[in-house]
Amino acid sequence: MLRTEEMLLNVGPQHPSTHGVFRLVLKIDGETIVEAKPVIGYLHRGTEKLAENLQYTQIIPYTDRMDYVSAMTNNYVICHAVETMMDIKVPERAEYLRVIAMELGRVASHLVWFGTYLLDLGATSPLLYAFREREMIINMLNELSGARLTFNYMRVGGVKWDAPEGWIDKVREFVPYMREQLKGYHTLVTGNEIFMNRVKGIGTYTKEDALNYSLSGANLRCTGVKWDLRKDEPYSIYDRFDFNVVTRETGDAWARYHCRLDEIVESLKILEQACEQFPAEGEILAKVPKIIKAPKGEAFVRIESPRGEIGCYIASDGKKEPYRLKFRRPSFYNLQILPKLLEGETIANLISILGAVDIILGEVDG
Amino acid sequence: MLGFGLAKGLKYTLKNLTKEKPTYEYPNEPLPLPDRFRGIQKFYPEKCIVCNQCANICPTDCIQLTGKKHPDPNKKGKIIDTYDINFEICILCDLCTEVCPTEAIIMSNNFELAEYSRDELFKNLEWLDENDENIRKVNKA
Repeated sequence: MLRTEEMLLNVGPQHPSTHGVFRLVLKIDGETIVEAKPVIGYLHRGTEKLAENLQYTQIIPYTDRMDYVSAMTNNYVICHAVETMMDIKVPERAEYLRVIAMELGRVASHLVWFGTYLLDLGATSPLLYAFREREMIINMLNELSGARLTFNYMRVGGVKWDAPEGWIDKVREFVPYMREQLKGYHTLVTGNEIFMNRVKGIGTYTKEDALNYSLSGANLRCTGVKWDLRKDEPYSIYDRFDFNVVTRETGDAWARYHCRLDEIVESLKILEQACEQFPAEGEILAKVPKIIKAPKGEAFVRIESPRGEIGCYIASDGKKEPYRLKFRRPSFYNLQILPKLLEGETIANLISILGAVDIILGEVDG
Repeated sequence: MLGFGLAKGLKYTLKNLTKEKPTYEYPNEPLPLPDRFRGIQKFYPEKCIVCNQCANICPTDCIQLTGKKHPDPNKKGKIIDTYDINFEICILCDLCTEVCPTEAIIMSNNFELAEYSRDELFKNLEWLDENDENIRKVNKA
C-alpha cells in the first residue's frame, strides 16, 4: 500500500472560475478533497456601514455594486424597503417599468451564468452566444437608464427616467427572438454528452439540506421546493402576471442548469405580459418629499433576485440617514453549503460544483 | 448514441457562421451610445449659482467647489471660483446632474478616462468646461 500525505491547496483568490476574488483552501488527499474552507472578504466594501452616513437616495448607487450582474433587483429592494416604511404608493407606470427592467436583468443574469458556467467546464462557444443576447439586453437597459451595469435607475417612489420612445416595442420584439435563441442553446449544450457527464449527479443535496442551509433561488428550487417570492409573497405588481415557478427534483448541477434556463422562459412570459399591459401614460415618480426621511421604526422586505431571496432591513430613527441597514445577500447564504458539497469530491468536480451555485462575489462580500 | 449531441452542437455553430457580426469596431469606430448615457460631466461655469447641492448629494464626496462674490456689486449671489471632480472616486451615478437646479452640470457621452497618473484624474473647472463634445440633450425626465 502506497503511503500518501494530505496536502493544502489554495484555489484563488485570482482563479478565473471563482468569478471574482474568492479563495478556497483545500485539504486534498491525492485528487480527493478532504476538507474545503472558503475564505471571503477580498471584495468587501462595507456597504452597510457606509450607508449609515448616506441619505437613502445616495445608497442606491452603492446597491448597484453588490450584485453587479443584476443591479436592478438591488435597486428595487432598497427603494421598496423605504417605500414600505414611508407608505408611498408607487405610480402604475413606474411599477411596470420596474418589473420590465428587473425581468430583463434576470434574463441577462441567467445568460451570464449560462455562458460562464459552460466556459468553466471548458466550452467556449456558448459564452459567445449568451453574451450576444445579453448585449442586446444591456443596450436596452443602457437606453433606459444611461448605464450598462450600474443602472442607478430606481428612486424612492418610482423611477428616474420614463421609457424612451419605442423602447417598449424593442422589448416586445426581443421576447420572441430570445425564445428562438434559447432553442439554439438547448441544441448546442443540453444534449452534449460531455456536458451531461460533468453535471449529472454532481453536487447533489436534498431538500432538507437546502432548507437547513437557507438556500434560495434556483439552488432551492432544484430540490423540488416550490418557493418563489414573486408567487408566494407577491410584491410590486407580480400578482398580475401568469407564470410558473420552475422546479426540478434531483438537486444536482444538472437540475440547477435546467431551473435557470427555464426561468428565462418564465421571465420572457412576464415581459410579454408587462409590455401588453403597459399603461399608455402616467406618472413615473410619486410625490415624495425632497429630503427623504423614513419614520422612526424598522422594516424588512425581501424580493426574488436571480440568485435567490434578497432582503433589506432598515432601522431608522427618523433622520435622513438610516440608523442601521442590512442586506440579506443571497449569494452569501448560498455559498455556505459549498464545504459540505465539496467533501469527498475530486478537484475536477470542484469547478462544476462551485459554478452551479452561481455566486457573485460583490454580493458575497457586501 | 454517444457523439450525437456533439454533432448537433457543431451544426448549430456552423449555422451561426454565416450570421451578421454582433461585435463593434471600437476603438477604430466610436461606440454607439444612447443619449442618456452617463459619461464624464460637462460643467457650465456661467450657469452655476454655487448652491452646493451637487457636492452634498455626491455619494462618494468627489466634488469640491468654492464660490466668490459677484464682481458686479449690483447683483446678488455668488459665482463659481473653483470646481473640481476627483475621477478616482467618482462613480458617475448622475445624482449631481439630477439635483442641479440650473443644469450647470450635465453628463456627456465621453467615457475614456484612462490616464498615466492618478493626479491627472483630478479634473478642474477649465477641463470640465472644455469637455463639450457629445453632451446629453435631454437632462430631466
